Parts: sequence; structure tokens; C-alpha cells
Amino acid sequence: MDEPDIARRIADQLAACDVKLVASLPDNWLMDLIRAIDGDDRFRHVPVNREESAIGLCAGAYMGALGSAALMGASGFMTVIYAVTKINYTYEIPLLLLLTLRGAVGDHHKHHISNGLYLLSVMDAIKLPYQIVERADDIGAISRCYRHTRTFSRPMAVLLTRDLLRGAH
Amino acid sequence: MQYLEAFRALARHRTHQIVVTSAGNSGQAWWAVTRDTEATFYLDASMSLSTMFASGLALAQPGLSVWAFMGDGAFCMNPGMLMVERQMNLPNLTHILVSNRAYGATSNAALPNSPQNDYCAIARAMGLERVFACNDIAEIDRAFGALASTNAAGHSFVVIEVEPFSAAEQKLEQPPIEATELKFRFGRTVERRTGCDIFGYRL
Repeated sequence: MDEPDIARRIADQLAACDVKLVASLPDNWLMDLIRAIDGDDRFRHVPVNREESAIGLCAGAYMGALGSAALMGASGFMTVIYAVTKINYTYEIPLLLLLTLRGAVGDHHKHHISNGLYLLSVMDAIKLPYQIVERADDIGAISRCYRHTRTFSRPMAVLLTRDLLRGAH
Repeated sequence: MQYLEAFRALARHRTHQIVVTSAGNSGQAWWAVTRDTEATFYLDASMSLSTMFASGLALAQPGLSVWAFMGDGAFCMNPGMLMVERQMNLPNLTHILVSNRAYGATSNAALPNSPQNDYCAIARAMGLERVFACNDIAEIDRAFGALASTNAAGHSFVVIEVEPFSAAEQKLEQPPIEATELKFRFGRTVERRTGCDIFGYRL
């Protein structure tokens, strides 16, 4: 399965749980997915100026009964800890985060070493549930995670691996 | 213009608007003049996200008119939000920047470059067209009269210049509502007004 097919399947998962708004910041691994969402009439895609803005936007959309997801790289997520804990935890507002699992095996970039060291530890520290999706057969977990955020009334992250988004090479 | 005087004027102009406040002084001031427990989301200490929150809500419910307060302290943390707002250009969103030239919520601590910051110019430079500057009550009355009387093509940005809170005003009560109660009270109001289903069940 090539990368555009993966992107389309992820988009289908979001659409299946009635996500209408997708706020995004780029990460090279996410570009096929961002392009797929941007060109898909099922979504209102809002490129934002920084990751925190995506957190605010999605929280407000929830308070208007609009399904949403925030799409960003691992580095971006590391900048939004206050926004997530302040808004989503304090007010118990659900949020689906789609993130890249940067710094893991297969990531060739040394500048993501910090994410490899700390991303999962930070999520554990703030008790943010996450699920790693590394194979095409696991993409169905995305809509299940979205629904879990609605039950849990808090955020949850889906971590997308390089092998899934770019192929294993 | 005194901060509370400005907010009393804003409250007079409010008809049906849903309101989102920012951290600290704007929440205190709006609570002091309205005691609203239903149609205001007091977004406490969001560090610049009140208008992004309001944008999500305004996008979700185009039939609602949404006012979002933000201090210039929060604005300086994330001025790029205006790029997102301009890109979304939601006609039912009014961004009200309350400029007291200080970090009001933290005892009026110094704000970077505060005498020079021209918030209206920043907004226009980002392509915003409906920009209003209010330095006194008469200008608030004119701006909000204009906002009420036109079918805006895009979102509006209003800068209100006020004096920082006095020491006595800093002691004004914060909205005393617990966060989750606030979420449900506000959300039920949105549901009643729009017929939408936020929480997955209706009372």
C-alpha cells in the first residue's frame, strides 16, 4: 500500500467518526495526509500558526458539537502541554490528536532524538492515553480512539509511525 | 477609559451574543458587570487561545454570534492567531482585544514594547478589513452600533484601549464556577439555542 492510500484510509477513518474540522501543523511524515485532508470535501482543513492554536480551535469546535482532530508532529505536541492540560483536562473537553512518533526506530533525523527520549514519557507523565498505529491493518483504531475521547471526555493521541506513513526503508 | 466602564458599555451592546473571555481581568470584568452563568465561557488562563476557541465555536455554529475577549498580554503571546482568524474569516466572530498595555492578570507586569504596539495596524497588515479602534465610550458605541447594523462579510476585530485594573479592581471576584459545571451550563445553552447535541445526550 503506498503513502497516498494510507493517507486516504486515515482520512476515511476520521470521516467515519464525523470529524469535520481538521487543524494541522506540518511534519514531513504527515504531508500526504495533510494534502489528502486539504483536498477532501468532507473536511474543513484549517492550517494553523502554531500547535496551541489547534488545541483552542478544536476545543471550541467541540463546544459547538463539531467533530474535530488536531494533526501535528511530535515536536509540535511537546509545545502544547499547557494548553492540553489547561483546557482539555480542566474543562474535560475531548480531543483527538494525530501525531508522528518521531525519534523512534526508523527515524533517520538526529534532531528528533529528544522526541525519542521524551515524547512517550511526557505523555505518561500527564496521563495522556495513546495508541501507536504502525501498520495499515491498524488504521481502524483511529475511529475507536476518537470515540474513546468522547467517552473519556479528555484527549487521546494516535501516534503514527514512519513505517506507516512513509514505508519501511 | 476605565476598564469596568468599557465593559459596562459592552454589556449594554450585547443582545444575543455568546461570549468567551480570556484569562484574568476580562473574565473578572465581564463577571462583575453581567454575572452571566449561561452564555459565557470563562476560559481561564488559556495563554492566548480564547479567540481560537471562539473560532472553533463560531465555525461549528454559524447561527451563533460570538464575542471573544482577549487581553493584549495574551495577544502578544500569539499574534499569529490573526492569520488563522483572517484565513477563516468567520462573519459571526468578533475578536475584542482589551488593551491595557500590561499583563493585567499578573499585577500589571510590564508588557514588551507596550507603548509602540499598534494592534489595529498589526491586524490590517494581516489582511483584516473590519478593524475598529475604541479609545472612549462613544467609540465603543459607534463600533458596536456599526457591527450590529451590517451584515459583515468577514470577522471583526475591535481594539479597546483601557486603563489597567487598579489595586482594588485586581481584587474583583473571579467567576466562581467550577470548570466542568461551566462547560455543561454553557454547552446546554448552545444546545438550546441551536438544537445541536454536544455531549451525546440531552436532558
